[in-house]
Amino acid sequence: MLTVNNLSIKYQDNSVLDGFELNLEQGEILALLGDSGCGKSSTLRFIAGLDETYQGEVELDGVQLSKNGQHLVAPESREVGMVFQDYALFPHMNIFKNISFGINHLSKSAQRKQVLELLAMIGLEGSEDKYPHQLSGGEQQRVSLARALAPEPKILLMDEPFSSLDKSHKDHLVLQVRQILKKTNTTSILVTHDKDEVNSLADKVGIIQNKQLTIN
Amino acid sequence: MEKNCFKSKIWISVVALLVAMPIFVVAFSWALPEHELWAHFSENILSDLISSTLILLLGVGVGVTLLGTVLAYLVVMVEFPGRKWLEWALFLPFAIPAYVLAFVYLGVFDYSGYAQVWMRETLGIPGFDIRAGSWAIILMFVLVFYPYVYMMTRASFKRQKINMIEAGRLLGASPIRVFFKVSLPLARPAVAAGLLVTLMETLADFGVVSLFNYDTFTTAIYSAWGDFRSIEVAAQLASLLVLVAFFLIYFEKKARGQAKYYSANMANKKPYHATGIKGWLISLFVFGVFMLSFAMPMLQLVIWGWSSVADEWSAKYIDLIASTSILTITAALITIAFATILALPGRCKQTSVWLQSVIRLATLGYALPGSVMAVGLLYGINQISIINIHFGGESINHIIYGSIALLLFAYVSRFMAIAYSSIEASAQQIKPVFTQSARLLGASRMRLIWQVYLPMMTPGILAGGLLVAVDVMKELPATYLLRPFGWDTLAIQTYELSAEGLFERAAIPALIMVVFGALLMSVFQVLDKKSSKSA
Repeated sequence: MLTVNNLSIKYQDNSVLDGFELNLEQGEILALLGDSGCGKSSTLRFIAGLDETYQGEVELDGVQLSKNGQHLVAPESREVGMVFQDYALFPHMNIFKNISFGINHLSKSAQRKQVLELLAMIGLEGSEDKYPHQLSGGEQQRVSLARALAPEPKILLMDEPFSSLDKSHKDHLVLQVRQILKKTNTTSILVTHDKDEVNSLADKVGIIQNKQLTIN
Repeated sequence: MEKNCFKSKIWISVVALLVAMPIFVVAFSWALPEHELWAHFSENILSDLISSTLILLLGVGVGVTLLGTVLAYLVVMVEFPGRKWLEWALFLPFAIPAYVLAFVYLGVFDYSGYAQVWMRETLGIPGFDIRAGSWAIILMFVLVFYPYVYMMTRASFKRQKINMIEAGRLLGASPIRVFFKVSLPLARPAVAAGLLVTLMETLADFGVVSLFNYDTFTTAIYSAWGDFRSIEVAAQLASLLVLVAFFLIYFEKKARGQAKYYSANMANKKPYHATGIKGWLISLFVFGVFMLSFAMPMLQLVIWGWSSVADEWSAKYIDLIASTSILTITAALITIAFATILALPGRCKQTSVWLQSVIRLATLGYALPGSVMAVGLLYGINQISIINIHFGGESINHIIYGSIALLLFAYVSRFMAIAYSSIEASAQQIKPVFTQSARLLGASRMRLIWQVYLPMMTPGILAGGLLVAVDVMKELPATYLLRPFGWDTLAIQTYELSAEGLFERAAIPALIMVVFGALLMSVFQVLDKKSSKSA
């Protein structure tokens, strides 16, 4: 499903990842663990096509997306979903518009149906007319997840999505997210430095240490 | 406590109301209207005036919005060859006064300008009248004023989070869709603020419209005063302009109020990279705007200046430079002194609605044309004379009309807001703890002002003074109406030579102005960098 080959990342001549290799099957959830600055976020951003590097290949669903650290396919054409650390919800759009942003090619009624389904799934029925600043952190996080899932991406990338939530909310939400990802059979990568999140969410755990990835 | 507040209320009110006086006086003109001449104006001229002013505002508004926004988007969001220095170079047109750019273009494209001569003689195409219609003058204003929209929109794009754009892209949106659905809506308040400042400046302009023989409210005010000798009608026309300006101020304040979505992130990273031919096409476009709005006009000025320096340069330029400098320095000093009084931190200021409103009144001048200031003052003096004569005294017109005090008054009123906002910004950085600790150490209010407030406000005061100086130096409409005999400035000399079509000779005073302006602006830049480092 997803193959990353020979990915190497440097921060100002300082090598942090060297020859990163990864294979994921459809529907698998991988958690990437590692100290800050170990290159986990950069790995996600490379898979998403946002940042380039000097070495590395990405293949998704049989299509070569990146080669030699350069991107062959632009982020907007990759069908990769992403949940940002600060959610990056559009502040000037209501929840409905936020979630439907990526499915504007569908008919109005199809958009509506899908957004309402997603809202029901994340437990935020009736919030479609609210604006992001009217929601709590956990609610924004779920909207951000729904927005990323709406276009049915081939893979979902999550960059420390729970890091700005407090503990009591987090535990419940992590389980909820796992249920949603399993229900939609979405292949996902979660970047985190919290071991609890890893245990309750992921099928597989990858640890980045000494510039290498080991998968358990 | 009570007494203290009373004292500062008196101080601030006197200064603020004095500065705002020309605006009041203009509004007062409707109390004693001159019916006959006003009827003539309103029947024959007013509707044409309104429609030509509206066409101008509409054309300029659309033009600067498109150009300013697109340029800002390109330099902030897209990496292309030459982006770094073009991002900075696009500010340079600020250094050229609008009427200078206008006369350079007139000199080149007028009937006898070499562009048209070449077209007629070499290409055999019949010439055109650059003053016909409104396209040329609209283009002129767009080239002069796009930096306002560019500056504010660029700052707003830079404050946007790069995450927003990345989220849009990962949801499959094309660069165009991201621009229209994400970047632009988030920057809309800034675009609106830039647009409104542009419209105010366009409305206030006298030099460009009169060089192009284009009738607007400003030219009508001059005609009422200059051709019909009616200060009353001039004041009545000016008051209509005040009304429009108030509308613009209102919307501008609203737009600025909304202009704070998120902070910092776009600074160094560019979400889009334009490589190959696409990148070069973007470079070419941005470079083209820079050439048209700055480099080519400057080059033309230098060429003209070089060829006419022998004929034009004479001892009178020493006088021109001297009177320009005296007016500029005096006006800047008075303005910053008054602005400092208004901006000094104080307990009373935060709680008193009265003080907040008089300060707002005093800073309205930035939206009002210099001509309104001038007419307000002339009208006020005239009314005092009438009252004086009524009680058996004499007219004071001849004394006051010929003094530089009136001109300085107009400058101070017009540019108060510029000095105030700069000084106020530095006053804002004085935290209450400084005041509290100084008072606990037994400092009196006077000592507090001299030893704590003023030293801390110095960068803002200097910067405000420089900005005012740049504007006073190139000010045209108020100077044109109010300058006493023998007090011609470089701006007047530039305007008068170019109004006679002596473009090559006009290049000399224009160049002196641009060089002085650039010097003042670079001092400002240095100060600005220093103060932002220490903050």
